[in-house]
Amino acid sequence: MSAKQKKMGEEKVVKTACSSHCGGRCLLEVHVRDGVITRIETDRGEEPQLRACLRCRAYRQRVYDPDRLQFPMRRTGERGEGLFERISWDEALDTIVSELNRVRSTYGPSAVLLLGGGGDASQLHTSRLLGGLLAMTGGYTDKWGIQSFEGGLFASLATYGTLSSHNAFDDLLNSRLIIMWGWNPVTTIHETNTNWYLLQAKESGTKIISVDPRYTDSTAVLASQWIPIRPGTDTAVLIAMAYVMIAEDLFDKSFLDTYTVGFERFRAYVAGDEDGIPKTPVWAETISGVPAQDIENLAREYATTKPAALVAGIGPGRSAYGEQYHRAVKTLAAMTGNIGIHGGWSGRSSVPQWQFGGYDFKLGKLPDGGGNPVERGVPPRTDALPTLKGSDSSARIHAAEIADAILKGRAGGYPADIKMALVMHTNPVNQYPNTNKMVQALRKLEFLAVAEQVMSATAKFADIVLPVSTFLERDDIIVGGVRPFYGFVKKVIEPLYESRSPLEICQGLASRLGISLYAGKTDDDWLRTMVAGSFVPDYDTLKEKAIYRIKSAEPHVAFKEQIEDPEQHPFPTPSGKIEIYSQWLDAMNSPEIPPIPTYIEPWEGRRDPLAVKYPLQLITTHFKRRAHTQFDRVPWLRELMPQAISINTRDAEARGIRDGDKVRVFNERGEILIQAKVTERIMPGVVDLPQGAWYDPDEQGVDRGGCANVLTRDKRSPGGAACHNTGLVEVAKVDEGKP
Amino acid sequence: MKLAFYFNDARCTGCYACVVACKDWHDIPPGPVFFRRVVVTEQGHYPRVAVRFVSTACHHCDKPLCISACPAGAISKRAQDGIVVVDSELCLGRESCGGACLVACPSDAPQFGAEPNARMQKCDLCCDRWAEGKKPICVEACPMRALDAGDQDTLESSYGRVKGGGQS
Repeated sequence: MSAKQKKMGEEKVVKTACSSHCGGRCLLEVHVRDGVITRIETDRGEEPQLRACLRCRAYRQRVYDPDRLQFPMRRTGERGEGLFERISWDEALDTIVSELNRVRSTYGPSAVLLLGGGGDASQLHTSRLLGGLLAMTGGYTDKWGIQSFEGGLFASLATYGTLSSHNAFDDLLNSRLIIMWGWNPVTTIHETNTNWYLLQAKESGTKIISVDPRYTDSTAVLASQWIPIRPGTDTAVLIAMAYVMIAEDLFDKSFLDTYTVGFERFRAYVAGDEDGIPKTPVWAETISGVPAQDIENLAREYATTKPAALVAGIGPGRSAYGEQYHRAVKTLAAMTGNIGIHGGWSGRSSVPQWQFGGYDFKLGKLPDGGGNPVERGVPPRTDALPTLKGSDSSARIHAAEIADAILKGRAGGYPADIKMALVMHTNPVNQYPNTNKMVQALRKLEFLAVAEQVMSATAKFADIVLPVSTFLERDDIIVGGVRPFYGFVKKVIEPLYESRSPLEICQGLASRLGISLYAGKTDDDWLRTMVAGSFVPDYDTLKEKAIYRIKSAEPHVAFKEQIEDPEQHPFPTPSGKIEIYSQWLDAMNSPEIPPIPTYIEPWEGRRDPLAVKYPLQLITTHFKRRAHTQFDRVPWLRELMPQAISINTRDAEARGIRDGDKVRVFNERGEILIQAKVTERIMPGVVDLPQGAWYDPDEQGVDRGGCANVLTRDKRSPGGAACHNTGLVEVAKVDEGKP
Repeated sequence: MKLAFYFNDARCTGCYACVVACKDWHDIPPGPVFFRRVVVTEQGHYPRVAVRFVSTACHHCDKPLCISACPAGAISKRAQDGIVVVDSELCLGRESCGGACLVACPSDAPQFGAEPNARMQKCDLCCDRWAEGKKPICVEACPMRALDAGDQDTLESSYGRVKGGGQS
């Protein structure tokens, strides 16, 4: 024993930031001995410590996952079958480049599709590297539509003219009332420590109300009241709250007069002047299932408690007409005068890192090729906001329509005939809507290359699979921010097997494409350049300490200047004010993108005729032990809770389903077999299947993994919101006698 | 000195960071052994529902029932800090004694692997970490600061005397 110990090297502890895609940004202390990770601790430094969640605590098992991809592979079986043979990196990269050249010369550069994603939350090793390289070498077809929050982004740009539209989460300590609307930060982490601040707010006496189809874990711990609501009906309830505020003269008229335009048009809509339907609480009750009395009380409480934060989660906006929900929330924030003040909340557009706690986020840029030639000279989409710079090109395809676009091409009205795709940091088979359609689409491609850490559902369809390193095997930078900071992600161990970083993959492709820009440059070289263009005073100190915090005297408040001094600080909208009536939306002249926040009956809602056949509304939420598909196979996490579909006791009893039974969940798009979780914590008529479980079809095409997107529809909302929470299904008990 | 855990259930979100951090620190393989667990209780009927999370481990009782239950004298309470520890070499194995310690324990602290006649393992309050000036791994993991550990008198003066206290 002691002889063995003597042979072992010293254990060292490396402090690093993490770049997991869970929504948090934390610090880790990684124990390493003889180049092997032995344990992972978290931040033990100054407060507020950035303590890691369960995912990173289990990261050791992800690094040493026996199923990690070890070397490049070439497909030998059918697409999706999962049969591959080992090849060298040279052969893999040569094949990709030769296919890229062949497809470009045969069909033109737009036939090349890049599917990148947020699978790693760092700044260097992103799929944007590949985008830059493809732009430099002829161009490619890009996508638009961020599946998480495009609806919020659209609404923020239309209403405020900017994405920097919400206060820092620690400013919730200044709120007297917090309404968590479809917001479950305990499970879906929205910045490290947000829950800690919410808890402190609760402990100091702030009332917290949860409006949600589920009695979430956040509701359980933080809220004193739960208001269940049918999915897709949030806008109706919000508009009925406006009705109450108007009827009872509880709105901030002076705020509306000074800072907004278009309230009278909205008021006319709410009153029913145009359509003859007053948007009363009773009207909203029939749509949403929320009792009119609850709507009235909530409206009064929000209007008379100041400052109050109606924090709109992004889940309700991941739905048909999801952008209307975000527009309605912002309108209520204006009606109650809760914009531009401490403790208020002006809405929610995106991820807070984008605004970096109110600072202009700064980091030196990586080469982007000076723009994508395929998009050069191409007009913007007619339904794109002029402020949506970068992703407004009509040469792009919405993420929800990628499968349809591959199948139909230009003949189907899409901007390109896609023949090959490169995939990095994303998993379209699993995470784009309508999995079975995506499977058909990927089968049609002439070539598909996927960079991955594990044999994902998408990687199984690839012609070439490239093994990628984890964030503990390469250097990188993250930015995070309730209280803004830069974090350094350190290479703690050598990359396992033959895995390479995204930058190395890009370098390998670049040299073969005749681009010398990346030659010989290391992570360190690029990161120094990036940090030189940031607020960080010294690169080496950042690297040593793993964190550089930007000090701020008080929590960031969005639009403080605009509210305190409107003459000098107009909003970046056409009118210079908060646009309840949006001129940009008016110019679109689309009944499905109305200029005022409007409740539009969604497809596949409870009142859709299809509900006779498929009577249950499906929502596809985040799961505590995963980050989308990531971490799903990590044993320490997997054993904590099974993938299951939550169904209310009444709905279960009507179908003869008991807790733990195997059930079929199905609609026209597909079918899955999964365990039922019978619970009182979900509204009757609604079922919840957490998204991210790995697609695992049997011979009949029935998914036995519980991949929620087998059931979701590949249709985008008119304003760009993805619709993963809009869909009807039926659930049936599986006969035990049958397999 | 008597070391003890403190836990505030009003703060626990059931995030399992403590559970996973414990498994990683003590290198416990996936399976039935959990030195620390989260117990979820759901009560009521829709829409009047209540859910409670309780993170629990060995309470390191003043008069541990497991010690008197063990036929092999494998469990002891350390004089210097009150940590209840098990000597796996002395443990007879679960099948041999019928898991007497587990039967006696009111909080399911004794843990057994899936192997035949598994020997008892349990939370040792991270006695290795105190020597380095660190609190138990679960305490330092908790993002909601719902857990603490330390000298019981100090904890009681910080948080107030907690009633009950099991076998204390």
